Amino acid sequence: MNLDKLFKRAKEKGIQDLEIFSSARSSLSIEIFDGEVDKYEIADTNALTIKGIYNNKMGHFRTEVLDDEVIDVILDTIIASAKEIDSLDDAIIYEGDEHYELLTDIYNEELYNLDVQKKINHLLALDKYLHEYDKRVSVVETMYSENNNAVVLKNSKGINLSNKANSAYIGGNVIVKDETDQRVGFDVVISNDFNDFDIEKVGKEIIDDALASLGAKPVPSDNYEIVFSNGAIATLLSAFQGVFSADAVQKGLSLLKGKIGEKIGSELVTIVDDPFMKKSASSRSFDDEGVATSYKELVSKGQLKTFLHNLVTAKKDGVKSTGNGFGGNVGAVNLKMEAGEHSLDEIIKSCTKAIYITNVQGAHAGVNAVSGDFSLQSSGYYIENGVIVKPVALITVAGNFLEMLKDICMVGSDIKMSYYGVTSPSIKVKSMTVSGS
Amino acid sequence: MLLEQKLIEDILDAALETGADFSEVYIEDHQASFLQSVSGRLEKSNNTKSFGVGIRVAKKFQSVYGYTNSKNPEDLIKLAKDLSKSFHDDQLTKRTPLMELEVGKRHLAKIKPSEVALSDKVKLQKTAYKHASEYDPVIKQVICSLVDDEKEVLIANSEGRFVTETRVKVRLMISAVAADKGMMQTGSDGDGSGKGYEFLFEEMDIPAAAKSASRIAKTMLYADDCPSGVMPVVIHNAFGGVIFHEACGHSLEATSVAKNASVFCNKLGTKVASDIVTALDDGTIENAWGSANYDDEGYPQQRRVLIEKGILKSYMIDKINARRMKMEPTGSSRRQNYKFSPTSRMSNTFIDNGTSTVEEIIANTKFGLFAKKLGGGSVNPGNGDFNFSVMEGYMIRDGKIAEPVKGAALVGNGAEILHKIDMIANNLTCQRGMCGSASGSIPADVGQPTIRVQEITVGGRKKGA
Repeated sequence: MNLDKLFKRAKEKGIQDLEIFSSARSSLSIEIFDGEVDKYEIADTNALTIKGIYNNKMGHFRTEVLDDEVIDVILDTIIASAKEIDSLDDAIIYEGDEHYELLTDIYNEELYNLDVQKKINHLLALDKYLHEYDKRVSVVETMYSENNNAVVLKNSKGINLSNKANSAYIGGNVIVKDETDQRVGFDVVISNDFNDFDIEKVGKEIIDDALASLGAKPVPSDNYEIVFSNGAIATLLSAFQGVFSADAVQKGLSLLKGKIGEKIGSELVTIVDDPFMKKSASSRSFDDEGVATSYKELVSKGQLKTFLHNLVTAKKDGVKSTGNGFGGNVGAVNLKMEAGEHSLDEIIKSCTKAIYITNVQGAHAGVNAVSGDFSLQSSGYYIENGVIVKPVALITVAGNFLEMLKDICMVGSDIKMSYYGVTSPSIKVKSMTVSGS
Repeated sequence: MLLEQKLIEDILDAALETGADFSEVYIEDHQASFLQSVSGRLEKSNNTKSFGVGIRVAKKFQSVYGYTNSKNPEDLIKLAKDLSKSFHDDQLTKRTPLMELEVGKRHLAKIKPSEVALSDKVKLQKTAYKHASEYDPVIKQVICSLVDDEKEVLIANSEGRFVTETRVKVRLMISAVAADKGMMQTGSDGDGSGKGYEFLFEEMDIPAAAKSASRIAKTMLYADDCPSGVMPVVIHNAFGGVIFHEACGHSLEATSVAKNASVFCNKLGTKVASDIVTALDDGTIENAWGSANYDDEGYPQQRRVLIEKGILKSYMIDKINARRMKMEPTGSSRRQNYKFSPTSRMSNTFIDNGTSTVEEIIANTKFGLFAKKLGGGSVNPGNGDFNFSVMEGYMIRDGKIAEPVKGAALVGNGAEILHKIDMIANNLTCQRGMCGSASGSIPADVGQPTIRVQEITVGGRKKGA
């Protein structure tokens, strides 16, 4: 699409300001099933998201059709939308910041250029490793996925920014079986550096938990000390990350409303948004509205410091946008709970009667981001007097997000980025309600 | 025509040059709009237009997929050739000439989204807002979302299959937040259809849905925490059917069955549920949310009896997994859009009517949980373990519905729970859902009459039942 023509037509039609966010994405994904390439997928897509202010209201259009013929349709729809919008929110197109961080480790040309056959061979090696790991392995599926994403932001106020990032993950699903039980294992390693994809390391992460959980059964319903593995707590944090959005707060949809400056968690809890995180494909120097991103503590030693803002929510609160306007909403770039000083082993040894939870399911449905209540299907291990005694499955762990943050009594040093893009260490919570047998 | 037939044929041919035995082109022209109002004021009017082509090439069990939103013939032929590089033989298969099947004539929309003025769409939201917000002073916030979706698809393959159809979906959802004394709870309700705007203008009872969202939010606001433990659970009709969808439906999809990753592998013809259970997946119901004329491989959608009187009768099978399973495809292949390779998925899935009444079921339950409205859930098809959340729940005491309880989750195992269904009512109703799985997020109806499960683990925040 001829963007100059788009800007010119917009002006002719009376659109006050116009902004274009262009994204070009290419991806590769490969799956191996029982030693053979089962899925091989390549893709290339381009899309434009166009925002325009008309009568001081904002209209939106996203298009994958990039011919000049759609220019009028886009602009007319933007105008029609703006005419109907009666929200009291300001419509803002940003003039830009003085300084944008220079990010260097988020695009790795080598990863992109690495021969596809090498990627397939690596995956085949992981497949073989998993198959040969143990006799009880019955089904193995391994996957590699790679994304390259280039974005450009341009507007009528003079912003012209671009960002290029790539990332990949390697991982697998296994099913293990013995005479009486069947369990599954899943894990991935995320990076844009192929050297991080150590087969033995990811292989063990995928399979050890599955094997150890064979024969898992519910424990009696009761209150237990709870240890969440880094992956399990990341899933929960991911489900609750919306509570930090100023948009949710302003709409009365966040349990953190009115709590800035208050202690919402134990001293051990520090949660940050780090948009400059290395090797993360989400890392960005500017958000979708052109505001410079910044490193910030949301929760510092238990105290709530700030919400995440885009231009509109910031104006409402009389503050500066935190550079968290993404996809028309407000969100963290790379949410991270800071590591503590204990090894996972030390945490486990400190427990008297606990459940070590390695997996939570159904976080999209089992949490209430407004009340903070959650009740999640979980599996893991029963710990007695510092020793893992037996695997546990089909239990639910119920609690409240804020109560849980307050009850965190140990934080691990084993920090890891999960499949959901949230980075976290393992943690221990004093007590939670478990339903089982 | 979304692309010239000659170009489609060239793509199909190019893909077969290196020994593949199947090639397929999926073309999609799609427009959608999403309107969101907060406190009765329209805040978002997001419009989307997309076009894309997905090319699939297969040899035996191995399939490769690529997609692009380029219309450029050279780009498309190049994509087909790039995909064909995964195979290393001489050409083995000759393409069958395209034979166009009848254009999809069922499930048509009378009023297409593109024919409706934005101001008329906004009015629907204002009506919903009014009824939800006026329900009770504790209702502090109402969010209405209106989604419409219009899609033209073309599917052609090297076996001569060639179909086109237009698919329309509309949906209005209302979410209410009740707050009092520092506590907050949400409730939501709404409806959608495979019809056009005639559904929202004429058929849907918008005030009732709006009030229901507010009623749930208020009821749950003052509800006590649900007790935890193992107990009988009566699951109400309509969205209660998500239990079958999650607990059993996913494990009957060829995606897991073909890879020997389902608890229902090799169980056809055997008893997998109690005698009173009959369950179907029917993609042919007129204008239903999960219906279509053709599946996303161009096969006619079908009515599939999955379980009949407790006996497993059928899986849901797509083309490639059919080869693995040495069975016929069942018209079950679906995908979110051209960015996904299609695979076996559910359409409109439900447990069929039984002979009891709701009143009998409640009266026959001394103590348990009445899950009136369920939220979402998920399942691990590998072992059938599932979970789902209860949006609106009540305790049953001495055969009567008693106090409301909040925060309940139901966990169990799909294969086990089917045997534990001991009463089924006669009030089958389906409801709209979005199902996320391997080939993306797709509209799928769930449904059931009110059922009783002898025992399920109920997870709640209060200790002990």
